[in-house]
Amino acid sequence: MLEIKNLTASINEKQILNGLNIRIKPGELHAIMGPNGSGKSTLANVLSGKNGYKTSGELKYKGKDLNDISIDERAQQGIFLAFQYPTEIPGVKTNNFLRTSLNKIRKARGEKEVDALSFLKIIKEKSNELGMDEKMLSRQLNVGFSGGEKKKNEILQMKILNPNLVILDETDSGLDIDALKIVANGVNTSRDKTNSFLVITHYQRLLNFIRPDFVHVLSKGKIIKSGDMKLAEQLEKTGYTGII
Amino acid sequence: MKNQNFDQQKEYKYGFTTDIENVKAPKGLSEDTIKFISKVKKEPKWMLEWRLKAYERLKVSKEPNWQKPKFSKIDYQDLYYYSAPKSMKDKPKSLDEIDPKLIETYNKLGIPLNEQKKLSGVAVDAVFDSVSVATTYKEELTKKGIIFCPISEAIQKHPDLVKKYLGSVIPVTDHYFATLNSAVFTDGSFVYIPPNTKCPMELSTYFRINASETGQFERTLIIADKGSYVSYLEGCTAPMRDENQLHAANVELIALDDAEIKYSTVQNWYPGDSNGVGGIYNFVTKRGVCRGKNSKISWTQVETGSAITWKYPSCILQGDNSVGEFYSIAITNNHQKADTGTKMIHLGKNTRSKIISKGISAGKADNTYRGLVDIHRKATNSRNYTQCDSLLMGNKCGAHTVPYIKNKNSSSTIEHEATTSKINEDQLFYCNQRGLNQEEAVSLIVNGFCKDVLQQLPMEFAVEAQKLVGISLEGSVG
Amino acid sequence: MINKIIDRFEIKRLKTLTKSEETYRKNCLDIFNRLGLPSKRDEDWKFSDVNEIFSKNFNKFNFESVKSKNQNVEFIKDLEHNYILVSNGEVVSSDFKYEDKDKINLTQFKNEDFSKKNENNSLIYLNHALSEKGYSLNINKDYKFKKVLVIYNYFSSELNENFLNIRNKIKLSKNSELHIINFIIVSSSKKFFSNTYEETVLEESAVLKNIYLQDNVNDGYFHKFARYKLSKRSNYSSHIFPSGPKFNKFDLEYDLSGDESECKIIAATFLDQNDHQEIKTKVNHLAPNCKSYQKVKKVVSGESKGVYQGKIYVKDIAQKTDAYQLSKAILLSENSEFDSKPELEIYADDVKCSHGSSSGSIDEESIYYLMSRGLNKIESTKLLVEGFLSESIDTIKSTAIKKFLQTKLTSQIK
Repeated sequence: MLEIKNLTASINEKQILNGLNIRIKPGELHAIMGPNGSGKSTLANVLSGKNGYKTSGELKYKGKDLNDISIDERAQQGIFLAFQYPTEIPGVKTNNFLRTSLNKIRKARGEKEVDALSFLKIIKEKSNELGMDEKMLSRQLNVGFSGGEKKKNEILQMKILNPNLVILDETDSGLDIDALKIVANGVNTSRDKTNSFLVITHYQRLLNFIRPDFVHVLSKGKIIKSGDMKLAEQLEKTGYTGII
Repeated sequence: MKNQNFDQQKEYKYGFTTDIENVKAPKGLSEDTIKFISKVKKEPKWMLEWRLKAYERLKVSKEPNWQKPKFSKIDYQDLYYYSAPKSMKDKPKSLDEIDPKLIETYNKLGIPLNEQKKLSGVAVDAVFDSVSVATTYKEELTKKGIIFCPISEAIQKHPDLVKKYLGSVIPVTDHYFATLNSAVFTDGSFVYIPPNTKCPMELSTYFRINASETGQFERTLIIADKGSYVSYLEGCTAPMRDENQLHAANVELIALDDAEIKYSTVQNWYPGDSNGVGGIYNFVTKRGVCRGKNSKISWTQVETGSAITWKYPSCILQGDNSVGEFYSIAITNNHQKADTGTKMIHLGKNTRSKIISKGISAGKADNTYRGLVDIHRKATNSRNYTQCDSLLMGNKCGAHTVPYIKNKNSSSTIEHEATTSKINEDQLFYCNQRGLNQEEAVSLIVNGFCKDVLQQLPMEFAVEAQKLVGISLEGSVG
Repeated sequence: MINKIIDRFEIKRLKTLTKSEETYRKNCLDIFNRLGLPSKRDEDWKFSDVNEIFSKNFNKFNFESVKSKNQNVEFIKDLEHNYILVSNGEVVSSDFKYEDKDKINLTQFKNEDFSKKNENNSLIYLNHALSEKGYSLNINKDYKFKKVLVIYNYFSSELNENFLNIRNKIKLSKNSELHIINFIIVSSSKKFFSNTYEETVLEESAVLKNIYLQDNVNDGYFHKFARYKLSKRSNYSSHIFPSGPKFNKFDLEYDLSGDESECKIIAATFLDQNDHQEIKTKVNHLAPNCKSYQKVKKVVSGESKGVYQGKIYVKDIAQKTDAYQLSKAILLSENSEFDSKPELEIYADDVKCSHGSSSGSIDEESIYYLMSRGLNKIESTKLLVEGFLSESIDTIKSTAIKKFLQTKLTSQIK
C-alpha cells in the first residue's frame, strides 16, 4: 500500500525528516509514536502532499510514485488525513462539503455521483454506526465545534469517504474517554483486508482500543525502533527518554 | 463587428451577439435625439418636456470625479442612445409575433419567454437594448391589480402614477449620470403593487445589451403601496466587444406604510478580456425611499461583471420604524474595477439599517466599498450595523474600504466592522485533502465567505449566483 | 472678514532669508492662495470645514510673531523631568538636568532639514511659507533618556487673533530612546490660531513615546500636521489626550518604511461646549512585517463635535502586515455629534487588517446598576465615562506618568 524509503523533508531550511523508512501492506495498522518535535505531523503533511516542504527519497503508494501528485489527486486516489487541528471554513455547510468531496472521490474511482437523497441515507447510516448525532453535519464546517466534535467529524468523514490509506494525526489528543471510544470504534469498524492505517500518536491510550500490528518510535525525523504492542506498553512505563 | 478574444474568453458564456436589424436614433446627444426617443415611444408631451428639462440641466453639469476607478473619456456624441430590433417597431401583440431570433436569444440566456416554457413562479420583463421585448404572466398579475409592464407602456397607460413618482427619489438634478438617464432613458420596468397585496410571484427584468456603440439607459420605477410586498430581480448580460459600452440606469423604489420591497441584482455584464480591453461601464443610480412608517427596503446585489461598476443602492429611511438593508458581493478579477456600497440616511425615529458587504479582488483588479451611514438629529433610537469584509488573491490587486459614518443622535447606535485578509492557506489545504482541486476549493471557500449575502437571494437566483462566484474567479489562484 | 488671500509682504517681513529660501516660500504662499483655506469640499476636511469655522470666528489674521514678556507656567510637580519651554512657538529655555547633555542637540529649526513633499493640505503650504519659530531636536546614537522630557508649549496672554506658524524637527539616531510629554498651556483669553508642522525621524531601532496633553479650556484654534518616518525595527507610540481648545485638528501621518517597525496611537478625549476636535491618522505600511495599532475613544457632550478619520494603507510589498484600528464614541447630549471615516487601502494579500468604529449612547443598563447602588445620574455617568477613557492610560508603563495623567484626565471630565 505504502512504501517510504529514505524520506527527508525540510521546511524553511529546517530539516525535519532524516531518512525515514516504512512499509505498510494492505490490511495493516501501523502506529507511529514519538515525542513533540520528532516529525510526526510533518510525516502526515508530506504524505498528503501539503505545499511548502522540500522532500527527497522514495514515496510509493499502491506501487506508484507520489512525489509529483497534487493534494487533491492523492485524496481522490484514497489517501485520507484526519487533521490534528481541523480547519474551520465559515459559511460552508458540513454536509454540502462532504457530498462535494465524496462525489469528487467517487468520480475519480469511476463510480456514479450520489444525489442529495442517497447521500442523506449514507450520512444517517454512518453516524448511527458511530453513535453520533447527524445534526452536527448541518452546521458550518468545523465552525464553533468543540475539539472533540472536530475530531469525531474527521472520523465520520473517513467513514463516508471510505479511503484506502488513512492517516490519523494525533486524533486522540484532547479527547475524553467517550470520544476516544467513538474514534477507536470508527477505526475498528473500518478496518479490512484492503485498507491500511497509519496512526500517529503521542500516547499509548488510543492503541489500547485499536491494537496496532506494528509500533514505530520516531525521533529526530527517523524511526529508531520498531516492534509490536509491547513496545508501546514499554514506552508508557519508561517514557521516551528510556528509549531515545 | 469586433468580436475577437472569443476563444480565450470561454468563461463568459453570454458573450454572443444576436444578428438582427436595428432601428437606431441618429448618433449623438442632442435635443433631436431626445425628441426621437420620445416620439418612437409615443410619449405624451409632459414626458418630453421632462426629458428636455433634464437635458438643459445636463448641459451645465459635469461628470463626477471622486470615485476610485478612473475611466477613459466617454464621447457622448459618438454613442447611439436608442437602438431597437426593427421587428419591435410596431409592437407585437403576442409572443407569436415576436421575431424568433429574439426569442432564441432569451432561450440561450436561460430565460424562455414562451407560454409553455416560461419560468414558473417568476414573471419576466425582457429588455433588449432600448426596448422591452415581452413581459410574461401579465394577465395573472393584472387580476390582482398589480401593474408590471415596460416603463414606456406605463407612461402611456398610467401617467398619474408615473408623474407622481418618477424623479421623486432621484431628482433630475442629482448628478451627471442620473441627469443623463432622465434625458435619454429608453426602457425598463414599471411595478405598482396595490394596497395590502402580496405579489404572488417574483418579478424579474432581464437586461440585454446587444447592439454596438450603444448605451443602455434603463429606468425602473417600483411603487409598493400600503401594506404590500414585492420581490424583484434583475439580471444583465452583454456581448463581448473590445469597446467600452455605457449602461447608466436609474432605479427608484418607493415603499409606503407597512410595505416591503426586496430588490435583487445579479449583474454579469461583459467584464472585458483578461487584458482589460472592452467591457461595460456600469454607472448606476439606485435609490429607495421608505416613505411610510414600518416600511422596508432590502437591496441584494451580486456584482461579478462589468469593466467598471459604480453604484450605491441606497435607502432613505423617512418613515418611523422603517428598515433598510444592503447585502452585497462584488467580485473583481483581471482588470475589473468596482466602487460600490450604499447610503443609509436615517431620518425617522426607530429606523434600522444593516449593511453586509463582501468584496473579493483577484488578478489586477481593484475593489472599493464606499458607504455612508448618516443618522440625523431627529432619528432617535436608530441603529446601524455594518460589516465589510474583503478578500484579496495575490498582491497585484487592491481592496479599499471607505465608510463615512455620521451620528448626530445620542440615543442612536452605529457599529461598523471591517476586515481584509487573503484566502486562508489552511482552508485550501483542508479542501484539497478532501479531493477538491484548487479552483473548486477557492469557489467553495469564497461561497462560504459570501454566504450571508447569497442566502438573501431568492432561490431561483441563488444557485445561479453561487456558480457565478466560482466562474468569476477562475484562474485567479495559481 | 478675514484675510483669506495672504500678501507676499508677510514673507518679506521675515528677516535673514536666503534668496532661494525666499523663492521657495513665495511659491508655497502662491499655492496656498490658490487652494485657499481647507473646506468640506476637500476630502480630508469633510468633517471640519476650517474655511467656515474661521470665517465665523475670526475678524482678521495677524501673522506677526509675538514675544511674551513673561511665561506664567506652572511646572509639573511630583514628576522628575527634563524640559523645554516653548513660548508662542519659540524656545525660551530648556534644562536636561537628568541627562548627558553632549548627547542632545537643541537648536532653532533650519528649513533645509525638512522634506519638500507635495501636500494636499493648504495649511502645510502656508506653514512652509511663513513659519518663523520652532526647534530642532537631535538625539545621538545609542543614547537613551533617563527621565521624561516635558515640552511646555506656552501660548501667552498677548495673543489676539494671531496666526502662528510653527515647525519642529525631531530626530532620534540609531538605537536611541526618548519619552516626551507635549504639554499645552494657554494663557491668552483671546482667539488665536496655531498651525504646526512637525517632522520626526526614527532611525533603526529607535524608540519614541509621545504624550499630548492640554491644560485648560481656552479659545485657541490648533492644527498640527506631523509626519513620522520609522526605520527598521523602530518603535513609536503616542497617547493623545488634549481637550479644551475650541478647535483642534491632529493630522498625523506615519511611514513605516523599515521592516519590523511598529507604531501605536491611542487617543482618549472628552469634548464639551462647542469644541470641535478631529484626529486624523494615516498609517502607510511600506515595508514587510510591520505592525500598527490605533485606538481612539471620544466622549462628546454639549454641542461638541468629535471626528476620527483613520486610514491604513498597505503597499503591495508590505506582506505580513498586522494593522488594527478601532474608534469608539459616546454621545452624551442631544446636540453632540461624532463622525468617523475608517478607511483601508490594501494592495498586499498576506495581511491581517481590520477596523471597527462604533458610536452611541452611554449604556443605560450600567447607569441603572450604579444608581441602584446609590449614585445619582450625574455621578454614574461621570464614573462610566472615566472608566471608558481611563483604559487608554493603562498601557503606559511609568507609574509616575500614569498617576499624573489620571488626575489630568479626570479633571477634564465634567
